[in-house]
Amino acid sequence: MSTFEYTSRDWFGKASAGLVLGFGLALALSSLFAILAPGSGGGKLQVTMWMASPIWVTILGFCFLFRSGRAAWGWLGLANGIAFGVLAAVQP
Amino acid sequence: MRTDVVRMYKDVHTWVGIISGLALFIAFYAGAITMFETQVQRWASPPVALSPAPAIERTQELIDKTLAARPQAERQFQITISPNAEAPARMMWLERAPGASRRDPAPMFGSTLAADGSVEIVQIVGTEVAQIVDVLHQQVGLPLDHEIAMPIMGIICLLYGIALVSGTIVLLPSLVKDLFAVRVGKNLKRMWLDTHNVLGLFSLPFHIVICLTAVVFAFHDQFYDVQNKIAYGGNLAAKWEEGEHHDPAPRGPVIPADELLRSVQAQAPGFRVDSLRYGKDDEHGLTVSAWGEDPAYGHRAPTAGWVEVDPYTGKFTETDYMPGMQPAGFMPTLTSFFSLHFGSFGGPPVRWAYFFMGLAGAMLFYTGNLLWIESRRKKERKAGAVTQSRSTIVMGALTVGVTLGCVAGISLTIAAAKWLPGRVGDVAAWHSWIYYLTFLAAIGWAFARGAARAGWELLAFAGAMTLLIPITSLLAAAGLPGTGWSYRHTILVDLTALAGAAALFWMARIAYRRVESGPRDSVWGEAKARAVPQA
Repeated sequence: MSTFEYTSRDWFGKASAGLVLGFGLALALSSLFAILAPGSGGGKLQVTMWMASPIWVTILGFCFLFRSGRAAWGWLGLANGIAFGVLAAVQP
Repeated sequence: MRTDVVRMYKDVHTWVGIISGLALFIAFYAGAITMFETQVQRWASPPVALSPAPAIERTQELIDKTLAARPQAERQFQITISPNAEAPARMMWLERAPGASRRDPAPMFGSTLAADGSVEIVQIVGTEVAQIVDVLHQQVGLPLDHEIAMPIMGIICLLYGIALVSGTIVLLPSLVKDLFAVRVGKNLKRMWLDTHNVLGLFSLPFHIVICLTAVVFAFHDQFYDVQNKIAYGGNLAAKWEEGEHHDPAPRGPVIPADELLRSVQAQAPGFRVDSLRYGKDDEHGLTVSAWGEDPAYGHRAPTAGWVEVDPYTGKFTETDYMPGMQPAGFMPTLTSFFSLHFGSFGGPPVRWAYFFMGLAGAMLFYTGNLLWIESRRKKERKAGAVTQSRSTIVMGALTVGVTLGCVAGISLTIAAAKWLPGRVGDVAAWHSWIYYLTFLAAIGWAFARGAARAGWELLAFAGAMTLLIPITSLLAAAGLPGTGWSYRHTILVDLTALAGAAALFWMARIAYRRVESGPRDSVWGEAKARAVPQA
């Protein structure tokens, strides 16, 4: 059995998943914070917006650790599905 | 760390770096200058022929007399506590055409009381040079509409984020070995790599902060739009207004401006008030906010925090953005994000630290490009090439032209601030043209002459352009006719430019020597094919 080796060959698949699905996940998670976390007011609206940036950048930075572009789209897609599913369930 | 992961991230780092590096250089170099935008603005502001400001006790008299003469000023005007070159009148306002938006340019006016107590009003022709450098910083040097430039800046910042993650991963395995070693010597690539690593690692927290905040500055509209749909059911606009109640009706006599100022100082002793800003509209009635600094705290705006003051009681009504008085909860956290990007905490020492960190950031991107070029050269040499390939020639010329064109262009357009007023019509447009023509000319020069020769030539040119800043002040101080003005209290701007020019000349000297003695297949060496035998 040959062991898996990372290469930069599939960069476009991985990076596009990080860009598109990372954006989706960042917005879904920050929106969950908006609905579920306590507090209100302009400060919370702003913090909620700010949260999207570190989540998106982190996913983009580490999306290359998926074994392939297909895996990146699959796992991040699944995470998006779950996050948006929970978001739909908790909508006020 | 698995070596294949490191190798993969090395590729990623190389590519995101080479795409975003030059834009980030411009953003960081211009950003370093904006740390002292107030000082540059002051240096570049022409003197105004106006009687001195009246005693602070007569401020309300000044306001009343000015509003009697110019009623439209009541919509928005500013009272400057200590008028100075960049805010030369105690009372100042913009005269906007009815229906004009806040972004539209509008002429500025200032007023004071003459010796006989009558009101004196003049138009204030300020300078926009600091603003132009700030826009270069915000838009990574792109001369495009703000709405178009910001998403592009955002993409650059996302690449920057990937570069930070990948660069850290690449460095991790050899961290202990490489960290404290900057090997200066024959192996130039080693030296640049060591420098790049030291700069990158020690300023990593700074870079993380700048990157994450800049992504927000680029995409906040998009983030809010999506969250409005998926988190707030389309009610975001209403949520902003929640808990706010406006009563436009007057609630008694308005407190005179000097009493209002004393009231602010009594309620916030550590807060140095720079200005009172008055506003009046149908929705809010009369509003006053006090703007200033308290170096013990972070500030929401690049150079200030502010507090809303009730013009009828003198009491603070909203302290959301008031240094040290922000309500517990989210606001102080938010302010820390902003002030960590702006360096607007801790006063001048932090501004100097940010200035140097900005320059170090610019160096990080510059050394990154050098590494790309040197690695390419080595790879190509191994593959049997003895001359440089087109890609290294192009990247070498771009690296030299863009970075030094940016440095020279900013210096020249700042120096021009003391020459343009009175000579040309649209001063702001001239500032932009001067910057971009210098920038493009430098790139053209770098391509025409090759990176090696253009390297030292453009360094010397950038040094000369930077030297024009103190020379301009010196000529004005010497009283030469037609040479603008010089303020004693902005001498630090001149001295900083002088030091910058000296540094650039020093680098030009080093680069010149390297051209003479560097390896001839290097993009930095002058091709002396006849003198060196074929390897």
